Amino acid sequence: MPNKLRVLIVEDEMLLAMDIEALVEDCGHRVSAQVGSLDEFEELPTALAPELAFVDVHLARGSSGLDVCRRATMRWPRCLVVFLTANVSKIPPDYCGGHGVIAKPFSHSGMVNAIDFLAHAINGPGVDQPRPAALIPSPRLKQMLEASQS
Amino acid sequence: MKQRDDWHLTDALHYEHGRGDPFAAAVRATRMPMVITDPAEDDNPIVFCNVAFQALTGYSRGEIVGRNCRFLQGPDTDPAAVAKVRQAIAEGHDIDIDLLNYRKDGTTFWNALYLSPVRDAQGVIRFFFASQLDVTERVEAQKIIDHQKKLVEQEVERRTADLRAALEAKTILLHEVDHRVKNNLTMIGSLLRLQVRAIDDPAIATKLDSMLERVDALAVVHRQLYQSSDIAKFDIGTFTENLTHDVVGSSGRTDITLHIEAQPLFVDAAHASALGLIVNEILFNAIKHGFANGRSGTLSVLVENGEERGIVKICDDGPGLPSKQRTKSIGTALITRLARQAGAEATWSDNEPGTCVTITFPAKD
Repeated sequence: MPNKLRVLIVEDEMLLAMDIEALVEDCGHRVSAQVGSLDEFEELPTALAPELAFVDVHLARGSSGLDVCRRATMRWPRCLVVFLTANVSKIPPDYCGGHGVIAKPFSHSGMVNAIDFLAHAINGPGVDQPRPAALIPSPRLKQMLEASQS
Repeated sequence: MKQRDDWHLTDALHYEHGRGDPFAAAVRATRMPMVITDPAEDDNPIVFCNVAFQALTGYSRGEIVGRNCRFLQGPDTDPAAVAKVRQAIAEGHDIDIDLLNYRKDGTTFWNALYLSPVRDAQGVIRFFFASQLDVTERVEAQKIIDHQKKLVEQEVERRTADLRAALEAKTILLHEVDHRVKNNLTMIGSLLRLQVRAIDDPAIATKLDSMLERVDALAVVHRQLYQSSDIAKFDIGTFTENLTHDVVGSSGRTDITLHIEAQPLFVDAAHASALGLIVNEILFNAIKHGFANGRSGTLSVLVENGEERGIVKICDDGPGLPSKQRTKSIGTALITRLARQAGAEATWSDNEPGTCVTITFPAKD
């Protein structure tokens, strides 16, 4: 079992936020915070230092998860940011510095496998399990995975 | 000089009778209005006009001869067209142009003017010969055609804009509906998962879990459909391979060995949900019954796209499911009837030990 991860959830739909929280905890990790908009995200203390963030693209009060991703990767350079969205096509080719996307609607098994896979990628040293189909990696994550394998 | 004098001679003496030079007589008598001008004289005046020209313009011979042709112009004559005529005369070449001219009574007519220089043996221009033709009807008809063409073009443009707007509205609506389907499927899954956690009775929780798995399978089908380039086709091979990895991986059952050989197998997208549910049922039946109580084994998945038929075959090497028990389970009924709906056939066979379920698709026409 890999170390417990500190996970940030950025999702404005409470029902989904609750479900993702439970999924993360079922996988043995801890949800350090859940926010629903860019404003709320900005108020988070830097000391929170999440290692993994699940970010929806359409957030409350017209804010965008793409902006959250840009700032999150700047604030916490070691944090893996994975989008959770039904609008996969809205994500730019560079993923705004993020690490991947899981398309909604997600399945229980797809999420559990993706969380396990990401936990292995974060805790290292290398990822031996195959990448789950539900997780589409960004060019950046692909590079990281290739580097860890060689 | 002699030739020029001849014109005056015939004009003066034989005008009424068309005698003298037979060509001159023909020019006089033709219905085509014609004039001849003399560039050697001051301001290139008309030195001859025929009867048809007088009839066209309404002026008499006496009012015409000795004047420059510009007396036919009026306020609405296009100065650019006049400039072209002037340039042709100055450069000594012929010109063919439509001019708006004015009659003596002030009415206008469209004049299809053809003007050409007449040169002597030395190449010196001695006269200009001009024929006129009243083409008012043609020009007016052309104007009407141009106007109507413009109207039609405007109408086409307007309707094209309407259609474009309608298409855009439909596209937005389609995206909106698609987005709602995705969000609703996501929410249904989340609601069920949250509910399962709150249930204490393991029997009910198990049933709800099965329901959740089915909803999840539909979600995965929908996701694969909207992410593929051809939304009319569904690759049941890739779907089966991914779902197998997902459900076995997330079950935490590291004691189940996977043996997967899956080719892409494209089926009509209309059957995607039904087939997705079937594969889901077979996989979970295998895990729950074939590898029940922590029993380890091998789960084999074969997807073949043959020439005569396509098959999806899923086998476990567990104790197998007695046929009596099969008829009772909703899973088996679902598999049989959904297969029929999708134009496929589900068959069970003995894997010795274990059970194989095969979905057979007829070859596409």
